[in-house]
Amino acid sequence: MESAAIIDPPMITPVSLPQQQVASGSEPADVAPERPPAFAVERLSIFYGEKKAIEDVTLTIPSKMITAIIGPSGCGKSTLLRSLNRMHELAPNTRIEGKVLFAGDDIYAPEVDPVVIRRRIGMVFQKSNPFPTMSIAENVLVGLKLNGVRDRAFLRERLEQSLRMAALWDEVKNDLHKPGISLSGGQQQRLCIARAIAVEPEVLLMDEPASALDPIATAKIEELIHELSANYTVVIVTHNMQQAGRCSDYTAFLYLGRLIEFASTTKIFTNPSERQTEDYITGRFG
Amino acid sequence: MVTKHILGTFDEALASLRNNVLMMAGLTERSLDRAMKGLFQRDDDLCANAIADDEEIDQLEIQIDKDGVDVLMRFQPLASDLRRVVSAMKLSSNLERMADQATNIARRARKLNRHPALPELELIAPMHAHAMSMFKDSIDAYVREDVQLGRAVVPRDEKLDELNRVASRRLIQRMAEDPDQLRGYLNLMFIARHLERVGDHATNIAEDAVYAAAAEDIRHQQFVASS
Repeated sequence: MESAAIIDPPMITPVSLPQQQVASGSEPADVAPERPPAFAVERLSIFYGEKKAIEDVTLTIPSKMITAIIGPSGCGKSTLLRSLNRMHELAPNTRIEGKVLFAGDDIYAPEVDPVVIRRRIGMVFQKSNPFPTMSIAENVLVGLKLNGVRDRAFLRERLEQSLRMAALWDEVKNDLHKPGISLSGGQQQRLCIARAIAVEPEVLLMDEPASALDPIATAKIEELIHELSANYTVVIVTHNMQQAGRCSDYTAFLYLGRLIEFASTTKIFTNPSERQTEDYITGRFG
Repeated sequence: MVTKHILGTFDEALASLRNNVLMMAGLTERSLDRAMKGLFQRDDDLCANAIADDEEIDQLEIQIDKDGVDVLMRFQPLASDLRRVVSAMKLSSNLERMADQATNIARRARKLNRHPALPELELIAPMHAHAMSMFKDSIDAYVREDVQLGRAVVPRDEKLDELNRVASRRLIQRMAEDPDQLRGYLNLMFIARHLERVGDHATNIAEDAVYAAAAEDIRHQQFVASS
């Protein structure tokens, strides 16, 4: 593929994530499976100025599975998620201690370019944010074009492929030239997902991707997340406990910046080991 | 033991579900007691009362199922709350079937009461005591969330099965020896069988109590162990 050299990261050894799949209908184990994880977070602390947002978190995020991060507002969910592609650094005065290993490489090593990291680890935000002056097609292809891809046939192919993967193709195939912001809220969010996957990242980070959507649009996003997990590692922050239960294979519960519990989603939502987890998910917190 | 829920209405709904289960357990125990006293004391009125109890128990089963579905729909409970709702609904189903056994026993007892007492009734007494002891302990395990007690109930079912086998053998033998009383012996055999089923339901309740308290599925352990 002609764009491979452009898209492949120049500074990090290319990953060879295992092609494992969990058999349909099987339960994930209570602990992360023994295979190369997508992320290994080691004793991670994150500071915004003097404020410690994340405190000594150690966590292994399995590859090609869906991991949900839950916890009350202000517990550090979004900070932890953003630290996985260094997006939190966009806030001023941030500092980290510890490590985030992605496919075995420290993404905070001095020689690593955060732009490359963010290309490999895409992100979808709470509020859909298509570029307002761009058409649907331009929104999807902007990442590739910024990386110098000019092959029209390739771009056309990738446009359709990304929109199909985002379950949006059938709805927009005749309106590709229309502005991205002309779509409904749910469609805009799927457009942002198409934009994120157009550059073929290895991971999708999602920060409450459906919290502003109605139940039908939410269901479409959740179905999409499920389908994407066949090819991508997905990490999703959500306030919606039922959504975490429906979508994810593993769940991490954070409280006051600390990781309280990480286990299979079934375990967390039927029989959590920690009292704080139980109190939070059953609504008996605080 | 359980911290208060942020939603007071959820705590109320859970408490109401539990209270209805306990009321159903109390009525089922009373119904079984009346049926067995009707048999041992040859009292048709007690038998009639046991049969009449069944309707109220059936209504409670319907109410608990309705309330359980309502709690699931409105609150989407998780973890121990989810287990409490699921186990309440399963308990009510077992209690309803136990109450059906009480009705069956009462009906058989009324038939027996029309004829002179059979000395083989003594075969039923130990079965009754054992089944009721299992039933009470299974309900205690549920109420107190006592995992140890719940576990201890399950193997006691074997003794009840054995008592049933002994009673059946003896009653079949008596049928051959004394065919004039065949119907009577047959009714006693059915009563023994109903008590054996009471033990099975008590076992189910004990297993559900363990699940509710500890999220542990202890059903069919012999199959799990051998597979």
